[in-house]
Formats: sequence, structure tokens, C-alpha cells
Amino acid sequence: MTIDPITLEVIRNGLVAVAEEMNANLIRTGYSPNIKERQDCSCAVFDASGDMVSQAENIPVHLGAMPFSVAAAIDEFPIETLAPGDGILLNDPFRGGAHLPDLTLITPIFVEGTLTAFAANRAHHADVGGSRAGSVAADSSEIYQEGIRIPPVRLLEKDRLVEDVVAMILANTRAPDERRGDLRAQAAANRTGRRRVEELVTRHGADTIREATEAVKTYSERRMRSEIAGIPDGTYEFSDVIEDDGRGNTDLTIAVEVRIDGETVAVDFEGCDAQTEGAVNAVFAVTASATYYALRCLTDPEIPPNAGCYRPIDISAPSGSIVHAEPPAAVVGGNLETSQRIVDVILGAFAGADPDRTVAASQGTMNNVTLGGVDNAGQEYAFYETQAGGYGASGGQDGMDGVQVHMTNTRNTPIEVLETAYPLRVRRYSYRPDSGGAGEFRGGLGLRRDIEVQGETTTCSLLAERRRRAPFGIAGGGPGERGEDYINQEGDWERIEAKSTHQLTTGDVLSVRTPGGGGFGDPDDRALAAIDRDLREGKLTQEAAAETYGYRVE
Amino acid sequence: MSDRSRRLGIDVGGTFTDVVAAGEDGFSVTKVPSTPGAPEEGVLSGVTESEVELERVGLLAHGTTVATNAVLEHNWARTALVTTAGFRDVLEIGRQHRPSLYDLRVEGPTPIVPRQRRLEVAERIDERGAVQTPLDPSSIDEIVDRVEDAEVESVAISFLFAYENDEHERRLAEAFDDSDSCISISRSSVVLPEIREYERTLATALNAGLKPVMDRYIGRLEGQLEDAGLTAPLRIMQSNGGIIGADFARERPINTLLSGPAAGVQGAAAVAARADFENIITIDMGGTSCDVSLVEQGDAVVSTDVTVGEYPVSVPMVDIHTIGAGGGSIAWVDAGGALRVGPQSAGAEPGPVSYGRGGRKPTVTDAQVVLGRIEPASFLPAALEPAPAAAREVIATDIAEPLDRTVEEAAMGMIEVANANMERAIRVVSVERGHDPRSFALVAFGGAGPLHAPAIARSLDIPSVVIPRAAGVLSALGLLVTNLTHEFSRSQVRPWEEVEAETLRETIAEFAATGRERLRESGQEAGAIEVAQSVDVRYAGQSSSLSIPVEGTVDEAALDRVAERFHDSHRRRYGHAAPEERIELETIRVRVRRLVEPPELRIEEDSSRAISPTSKREVRYPSGEHDTEVYDRSALYPGVNIQGPAIIGGAESTVLLYPDQRGRVDEYGSILVEQVGGEGV
Repeated sequence: MTIDPITLEVIRNGLVAVAEEMNANLIRTGYSPNIKERQDCSCAVFDASGDMVSQAENIPVHLGAMPFSVAAAIDEFPIETLAPGDGILLNDPFRGGAHLPDLTLITPIFVEGTLTAFAANRAHHADVGGSRAGSVAADSSEIYQEGIRIPPVRLLEKDRLVEDVVAMILANTRAPDERRGDLRAQAAANRTGRRRVEELVTRHGADTIREATEAVKTYSERRMRSEIAGIPDGTYEFSDVIEDDGRGNTDLTIAVEVRIDGETVAVDFEGCDAQTEGAVNAVFAVTASATYYALRCLTDPEIPPNAGCYRPIDISAPSGSIVHAEPPAAVVGGNLETSQRIVDVILGAFAGADPDRTVAASQGTMNNVTLGGVDNAGQEYAFYETQAGGYGASGGQDGMDGVQVHMTNTRNTPIEVLETAYPLRVRRYSYRPDSGGAGEFRGGLGLRRDIEVQGETTTCSLLAERRRRAPFGIAGGGPGERGEDYINQEGDWERIEAKSTHQLTTGDVLSVRTPGGGGFGDPDDRALAAIDRDLREGKLTQEAAAETYGYRVE
Repeated sequence: MSDRSRRLGIDVGGTFTDVVAAGEDGFSVTKVPSTPGAPEEGVLSGVTESEVELERVGLLAHGTTVATNAVLEHNWARTALVTTAGFRDVLEIGRQHRPSLYDLRVEGPTPIVPRQRRLEVAERIDERGAVQTPLDPSSIDEIVDRVEDAEVESVAISFLFAYENDEHERRLAEAFDDSDSCISISRSSVVLPEIREYERTLATALNAGLKPVMDRYIGRLEGQLEDAGLTAPLRIMQSNGGIIGADFARERPINTLLSGPAAGVQGAAAVAARADFENIITIDMGGTSCDVSLVEQGDAVVSTDVTVGEYPVSVPMVDIHTIGAGGGSIAWVDAGGALRVGPQSAGAEPGPVSYGRGGRKPTVTDAQVVLGRIEPASFLPAALEPAPAAAREVIATDIAEPLDRTVEEAAMGMIEVANANMERAIRVVSVERGHDPRSFALVAFGGAGPLHAPAIARSLDIPSVVIPRAAGVLSALGLLVTNLTHEFSRSQVRPWEEVEAETLRETIAEFAATGRERLRESGQEAGAIEVAQSVDVRYAGQSSSLSIPVEGTVDEAALDRVAERFHDSHRRRYGHAAPEERIELETIRVRVRRLVEPPELRIEEDSSRAISPTSKREVRYPSGEHDTEVYDRSALYPGVNIQGPAIIGGAESTVLLYPDQRGRVDEYGSILVEQVGGEGV
């Protein structure tokens, strides 16, 4: 390495600034509330070899999987066939994607005729066709039912949208204007990235940038190795389940064996069940993404995220399994739900190595809600959101209440924005008392969100987990409360399945009640002041205080 | 009529309280230590020390950190919140995301009002302002009783869609008014009548919590100033870059969270305008942090997504981006062998190693000392023994050795990394918001700003740097050039084709009338009144809007012009536009201000003296060592040119000119730094 550490730090900062500026641009110009309000999108910069060198930190499940997109794009369009102004779009989970709603755009960046880098961004589109509005159907059995499948294709040529490709995509979605706007925002974000990378190269020289990107990766790798070396060597196992696949197959095993050996870690998913009929299959990119995320949490979060971080990590997931699905598996929930369970089992395995390093299980689901239909003006719409829940407790700290956990970090849709844009009304948005797992440190509380439908015919799809199998506690802590979901059609609340689809009409209410996080440590050791505070705030009821902690108010 | 020609600007900062007194004969500057426990004491001692007779003061404008400190220290009043039934937890859930992605011990911000004092009431208004569930009179009584039982000083009221229809909030507020509880009231339809319930509720709750705090402070301050002879009304600086009467600040303390820094930006803009720069980027670098902001066409850019402490506060504030980079920022070599600078800081105590006050960690200031750019002996109090050798030693062991570099290379690297951090901050306020920094001038102030700015300007290709004469008291100076300003907004989300010119005209007229009324109440008659109106517009379905001015009479033609300008702005800012697509109105905004006559800032001095350097020393630049002449800033006068390499030392800061830069003193005493070609640096 010849590059000096000062120039290196300056360029590293510059590359992060590129990704952050792309992200700011995408969020500001996105059309759908899903991109702007919920920020369900991510941006990253890759070097000429396709290694990720910087990212804007938004959605973990996107970030670890995007390198697979760049690889697939290069595979389809070898570098010598790419030209300045090209933009490659894809969403095919079996060729660089994760699930169909996530559209990834990859822009090669040429400086003086040489391919120097790639700008890439991924955005979750609120509808990409398929059997259900919102394209998060809980009951698909093949990918063909999940929406339009886009292998790597040129969306842009000479900086212009290839209109026949766009037309074909739009013909397959329910809200084509919104899709066009979001696609244009994605293109603009990459254009920003390209301009900034060109500036960096002009300023520092192509050779220096090339050396710097190599050095940045090596640096992160070195720090990752020294962190892993700090974890006791050994083999740690853990397993949990995906409770059902939406098609009647239950308790599908997600098992992991983690082997720490010096400064490397091997993560082996040999014990997982085979891919299943329903839509909870994860493609390998998703499994890798979840594994990378879990290891980033267990090591110093300050390590600059890039391809170097992943080098000491070896992942093996048997082809044809639920964590390495092959076509034509349905996969939408693999990205959303199975990814969360993969994190749970890896963090659970590390609890065996050192419980203080990790946390109890968090809510372990994204509680995907999709509502779609025709509004009172006759316009088709599709609305998608995910719901927060309880974070797992750790040694020394209660889990955070009502927050997005692990593989997602999307914001909520403000109620006033939601009601202005769609024929829907939110009736309640509140904490669920007593839902945090008991412990010396309790799990975070789940949430309750009630949405009333206004349109005459509305399709409602729910795709959620942790309705039968609770998020586990660790070190003696109790499990978090399971989620529950109801529909109120004629004044009565009726419990519904975690993966189900319903036809609703004006006045009907969907109520989603999300899981709490698991507890940490023996509930008998919980500080009285903490119990008092929870009682005062109404986060714990007196009955639960008596039952769980043997605490009675005088 | 007595002579009331004096004007006072008083800015309370963390360390110093600055007083700038302006009269017909120019201005004077006084600095006294701040008194954080009771800031009014520092203000009074500053006034005393300035020797200004308060009877002769016609305008007193004040920048305060009282609200800011209350937020940072969680020191707000005991407050209750009343929300629409079903939504009391919105304040704590926020936007449901976690603040850091990979931190397993993540925590959210402390809610301003704890759950047991968040009350709900049945009522509902829809997105067009129609009442769906009326607010029942009996539930009003019940809520008033419950809030009184909670023994709070203040109550916040935030109902869904109150920006569309404030009837329910108003009725509840009136019920509190009619009770004899003396509880201070804040309602969301007044504090921030804009869409997005979390941000509006947070702003309202914060305002409620701060009101009693601000009320007590202003009461004490006004009382003491009046006792000391002040007859002019007290004015307070707001975060949006405008001044308001003290009574209005008591009502809306949330608007003062960036009071002092906003005044600094105004001061910088005023000084730059006199050097004919209307577009500037300000960089205020002190001991621990660096504030960066942007001024376009003489107006500070205002943003509605500024974070104060842990809280995203959506009221309009001068868009100040703060990073942890100051003279006291500590350099370190991290576990992977990379050189890092900040955000940890040695602060004022113990401060840099070279100050000899017990600092043990290498700071940016120490690097400057090692490179020969500053000499602590020239500005430290006599009681302190500077320790340049110790600074050299610590950079050698902590930085140079692990990196295998010479001490000079290490010191140069520390400054380059610190500068790179600041460059990134400048990019955030400029390129990320669609501005090209090359068409701006950099205005540098704060203790360390003038030392770093010329180098930062070079690497960002910014052609000019302005270093104001009053660089150490720019906030206090800014208070004297800032206009009295009232801002109004109301969200009204409508497809553009449904927007009626008449309704828009009425709303704007209503805001303008209220603004004029408030200006009258604040007691200043002189100065023209200026009304600016704009609308936030976006593509239908898009969630992020652009603010577009509405010029002239608000008629159908004006609406068409707005639509046209929106497409243009969108293309300019984001690189694409879609004129064929539908657009929609989001928020209406009106700003009413009374323009102040700025004080004379020109300096007149004997310009016949010869200027000669006070000394000469070896200073290290990226290109190597150069013999560098050192000048005393106080001896310079308008018209003087100094060719780099040169150092211009002053009481509060030092300016460093690279060999290919030239400094010129303008008639206001500012130093204007420009590149003079050549690449040999």
C-alpha cells in the first residue's frame, strides 16, 4: 500500500458523502410515500470490480444484498458492453434481486473512457403487479404470482429512459404514474452519484482513487478481523422457526451453526428446512445480507461499511433450502420475515458465546400491511407499510419500545399524509402495555395500529410472524408477547391469520398488534424503580406486575 | 425627546456574553464571561462594562441560549399533552425508526411529556377540515380537570388535522383560559400549523415545556434592564433569522432555539454584503464545533428539518449544519491505522496541549502550533505558560510514530483531515441542496475559522474568503442588522387545479394583517414593511415540496406562474421535471418584516502610516516551508494589500494566507482573501 493515511481518510469521507447525497436526492424526489416518508430505499457506491466501497445507512436488508445486484448486472452486461449513460435495472430475486418490489438501478461510471465505479440504489416500489395490490401477497406459491420479474435490463441508454422497457414495466403495475415518478427519482439519484464520483476522480486522480478504494476495503477487513478475534473461539448453535408459510406448512426450521476460529467466522445454515411452498423463502442474497447485518451489530459499529467487512465471514447455505431458494419459489416474505429470523438465530447463537455481547430476540417481523383497491374517485391505489414493535432487552438496558428492528428501519407513514393520500383512516396508534418480555431488563413494547377502510372494495393483505412463536428472552429473561391481528367488520373483532388476505369495505377496521421484544435476566432482579416507572406510565398493568414480578401496589 | 440613538446587540454564548454598541460614531465591542446559571447577570455586567447609558438606547436586541440549554439539559417545565383519542403515544413513537442501525443498545429520545401526563380526548377532523367526531363539552371539562390534577405548569394541545381546522384546539384552549389554573397553553394549530402529526406534536410539546422557562427568564431580564434605565423595548432573536418582541418570544420560545447562531449568520451576511457578496457560505469554527450555513441573495437559507439535541424540530430555522470539528478537536489513530480527527474535543479545559493547561491529547490547534502558524504566547493570558514543545512531542508519539511520518507531516495531516470534515459539511449545505459552492464566497469567523478557511476555499475552488473585522462578536453585531420578522404557515394539501386564487389571496391577506398588527405591537414605527408570500408545491403524490414565491396580485395568472416556476426549480435542483404531470399545494407561507436601518459599519482610519510586518518566521504549507511575514491586524487599515505567504494575527483569531493568496482590507475592516493564480502550494 502506497497511499498515505491522510489522503485515504479524505477520499473515504468523499465516497461516503457521494452515497449520502444520492440518498438525500432519492428521498427528496421520490413520488410514493413509501420512498419519501418511509425512506424504504438505500444507496451505495461500488468500485470497478463490483465491491461495495461506501453506503448511506438506511435499510440493512438492502445494503448487504446490493453487491449481488451489481454482480448480476456485470454478469449480464460485461464491462466491455457498457457505455456511459447506461443504467441497468433489475428485481429478479434469482438474478441479483431480493424480492420483486425492490427495484435496483445500477449505473456504471466512466471517467475518461475507463469504467471506474458503479452507483447503485434500491427502492421498494409500492406495487409491482402480481396477484395482490401492493405485491406482498401472503399466499403465493410461485414467483410468477408475485409480480413482474425484471432480469438485468437497460433502463437507461445515453442517459434517457428506454421507453419501451418503462412501458412494459408500467403496464404490469397498479399505480403506473407513481412507478414512473419513483423510477425517475432513482435515475436522478444515480446521476448525482456519477457526477460526484467524477469530481472525486478529477480531484485526486484515477490511480489514487483506485488505491484508496482498495485500502478502504483492506482497512475495514483488518478491523473486522481484530473484532472477531475478540470473540471466544468455539462452535455455537441456535435454532428457531418461521411459524408458517401462508400455505399451511408450519414451524419451518431456521438453524445456524456459528464457528469462531481466530479472526474468521463461519456461518452454516445446513440445518435449515428445504424451501417451502409459501412465500417465505429467502434467496441467498437475503441470507447473506442478514448474516452481514448480525455480524456488524456484534462488532464495532464504527467500522466503515464496505466489502472488506465481509471478507472474514464465510456463509454456507444449502441450495434449495429456505435460506437459499431456487426458482420458481415464492420469495417476498423471505426478504421481509425470514431475514429477521436469520438475525434472531445468529444473535441467539452468540448469546452462547457471550450473552452480554448480544440482545434478546426483538419482534422478529416487519408486520407487512398492504391495502389496495379503488378510491372514491375511481383511482386505483396500493398502500404498503411495515409496523414497528419491541426491541430485545440487553444486559443493562430495557429494549426500545415501538421501533423498527434489525433488517428494516423504515419510518412510519404520518397519519395525516396517509389519510390525505389514500381512502384510509387510522383509528389508533399506541403502545401495547405488558407486551415486553419480562426480565431484569424488559423487552420493548409492541404497537397497535388500527386502520379503517373507506373505499368500497379494498383488498387487505397481512404478512407477519411471531403470532404463535414468541420472541425469545435470554439469560433468564421471558419471551416477548406475541402479535395478534383482528378485523372488525360488523362491530365484532375477529382474529385473523398472520398471513392472510381479506376483502374489506367502507367502515371495516384492520387492527395489527405487533410483538414485544424478549427480556434479559431474571425478572426477580428487576429494579423496583423500573417497575414503578412502567406502572406509572401505564406500560405495565397492575395485574401483569403482580403476575410477572410479584409486585403489588400498596 | 431624549436622544435614543444608541443600539445594543447582546449575544449570550456558552463562554462569553458579547455586547456590540452602535451609534453614529461607529461601534464598540465588549466581552464578559457568561453566567450560565442566571444569564441575565452576564447581560447586565456586559451592559455596565460597555459604558453605554441605557436611557440613550433606542433598540436592544438579544440572542439567547435559554431555550437551547433547556432542551439539551432536559430542563423544561412540567407539561401535559392532550391529543386526539388513540394517539397519545405518537409523541414517543416518533417516526418508529431507530437512530443508529447497528447499535444493539439503541435508545430513543426522552419524550418531552411522559406517558402518564399524555391525555386523550374523543374528537376527529378529516383531511379537508370537516368535523367527523365533534368535541363534546363534557369531555372538555373532564380534560381541564385532569390536567389541573396533574399539577403541570404548561399544557400542549395537538389534534389530528388541526392545521386544516383549529376549532377543537381553540375550544379546549379557551376552556383552560377560562379556568383559574394559570396553566400556560400551546396549541399545534398556532405553533406549527403544518402536516405531519409527530413533528407538529413534538414542536407543540417542546414549546409548552419551554414557555414557563422563557417567561421567567425574560421577566427577570426585562425587570433588571428597566431598573438599570432601559426604556426601549427588548427584542429577541429567533432561529429563522428574524427578530421579535420579547412578549412574542415568551409565547413562542421554540422559535429561539438557534437564536445566537442565526444572529451570527445575519452578521456574516451583512458584512459580506458590504463587500458585494450576496451569496455566501458561513463557517463559524470555535474550540469544539464548527457551524456551517448558506446565504442566498442576502437571505439565510431556512430549513424545517433541523435537529436540536435528540429532537427533530420542524419550525423554520436558519439551516445550520454543525459538526464536531474545532481547534480543540482531538486527533487519534484508530484500531485500523487511520488518522481521525474529532468529534472528541479537549474543549476549553484542559484545551490544547500547547496552551499548557494540562491538555494531554493532540489537537488541531497543536498541529497549527507545530507548523508555526500560530504562537500561543501571543494570545494566551500572561498567567499561562505556553507549551509548544509538549505539543510537538505528543503529536510525535500519538500520531507521527504510529503512522510512520515526520512530525510535520503528521501535523499537516491532522489539519487536512479536519479540513476534509469541514468540506463535507460545506457540501451538505451546498451541493446536497443544489448549490454550487464555486459561486459563493466563504465567510469565516469564530476563533479558528479564519485560520482554516483560506485552505478550505482553495480545495473547494471557492474564489473568495471574507474575514470580518468583528469575527469574534459577529452574532452580537448580527443582532443590530436583523429585521423584525413574523412568519406564518398553514398546510392545505390540495390538487393545484382545486386551488382558488381568491381563497389563497384571503389566507395570505389574513397572515399579512396579523403580521402588521404584531409589528405595530412591538413598538417600532420606523422602517418599511415588506411582505413575502410563497407556497410549498410538489408533484401530486410526491412527498417533498419546493417553496415557490407568489409574486404580485394573487390571481389565476399568478397561480400559473407558480406552476411554471415549480417545474423550473425542480429541474434545476433535482435534474428532472415533468411539466405534463399534476402538481399540488402543500403549505402556504407568509413572512412579514420591518426592515431596520443598519448601523454604520465603515471604519475611518489614518491611512498614511506604512504597514510593516511585526516579525517573520518559518511556516509550513503543503508545498513546504516558506519564510512568512507576520502582521498585526489592528495596525491594518482599509486599502492595504498583503501578499501571501503571510500571517495576520488578531486578538480573537489568526488569518493564514497561502503563498498564492492575497489579502485586502476593505473599508469595513474585513480582510478579503483571493487566489492570485499559480499552483505552487
